[in-house]
Amino acid sequence: MDRGAAAAEHLPKTTSMEKQTMKVLLDRHRRRASHGVAALAGLLACATLPAEGASAATPLQLPAITDAAAMEHHPGKVIWADLVTPDLAAAERFYGGLFGWTFQDIRAGDFDYAVATLGGHPVAGMFQKPIPAGQHRQPAWLTFIAVRDVEEASREALSHGAKSLAPPKTYAGRGGQAVFTDPQGAVFAVLASSSGDGSDYLAAPGEWIWSSLLTGDPGRSAGFYKAVFGYDVFDLPSDDGAQHVILAADDYARAGIHTLPPGHRHPHWINFIRVADASRSAAQAVALGGRILVEPHADRHGGQVAVVADPMGAPIGLMEWSDQYTQDEAELK
Amino acid sequence: MRIEFPLWKPVLIAGASLAVVCACAIGGPGYDGYEGAGYVGGYYEPWGYDYGGWGRGYRVGPPRRGFGRDGGHGSPGGRPTHVGRPAPSIPGRPRR
Repeated sequence: MDRGAAAAEHLPKTTSMEKQTMKVLLDRHRRRASHGVAALAGLLACATLPAEGASAATPLQLPAITDAAAMEHHPGKVIWADLVTPDLAAAERFYGGLFGWTFQDIRAGDFDYAVATLGGHPVAGMFQKPIPAGQHRQPAWLTFIAVRDVEEASREALSHGAKSLAPPKTYAGRGGQAVFTDPQGAVFAVLASSSGDGSDYLAAPGEWIWSSLLTGDPGRSAGFYKAVFGYDVFDLPSDDGAQHVILAADDYARAGIHTLPPGHRHPHWINFIRVADASRSAAQAVALGGRILVEPHADRHGGQVAVVADPMGAPIGLMEWSDQYTQDEAELK
Repeated sequence: MRIEFPLWKPVLIAGASLAVVCACAIGGPGYDGYEGAGYVGGYYEPWGYDYGGWGRGYRVGPPRRGFGRDGGHGSPGGRPTHVGRPAPSIPGRPRR
């Protein structure tokens, strides 16, 4: 006997008709409550499922990050960077004007992405999404470090204190990638590229040449990145009170780690594009709607470096590197 | 007469729904975790990049091969370092 009928049976001094009427009313009340539960369950499902639904409806296929035929792998090498920006068209105008990049647009549903190319080679990705309403957020370039196995790298990173921002996910064409914050809070990504990591060569003007992590404790950060990526770690001489560390792999310098300068609050990676003349490129960035964050100045290698922001505020580094250095190295060997 | 209905169920689900909505609104550890079309990448950082303070001598670039010799610093945090061996430079071979 269901609960409504049982309740009606126990009602004192009621006629059969009254009992039947009461049972109907109780059943109706119970059905309403059940419908309410179902409606709330539906609301909960709607609140949690849209991202998965969109993902299933529009599976993403991204181009390979390298067009090299040789499948070389260089774990620890910075092999890609993605810009997040609220205005993809404006970003294309800025970076196209500054570095001569051209763009291949990829659109799927609400996904607006562009692959920047230089001389026919893929250089970077740009991802458009709105800044959440009411939030003061910083557009930024996301640094991708090469790994052989994204799942294994993810386990290593998490076991050494990283936090996951996006779990491993594989995209046809590109490979598997995941996003983390390191133990001090700097965001980075790992990428197991399905087309390999590209050969080691000197970046041409307009290509990425260097990456730096600015963080509160370079020694601790070096320990983390060494554990996850297997880098060799070198301390560099310092005359500014800051600590400077080089992360190396395959006997090449892959990235630097530096103490956050006074006044900087937020640990972060910054990537540098090789330019022929940093002062001229910085002025050009301003003419294109950007601004100068760090004025051009000589760095340890002898060339000038500068940091500019694109019109939406994303910082990017500019770095000179003379071909003469390569000739000097040849003479040293 | 008092008849009790299982009203705790809708109350519980309403509470769970509210918790989910609040979690989505609050977000992760200071980063915007939205994934457009399921793409993992593209994270707005917390606001507050300050790029002043790069004083004289604050150098972030790579050393040139043979020029950026290790100064023999210690091993902060106990991590291994290469003392005395010159730090390598970036690749110098031009693209073929």
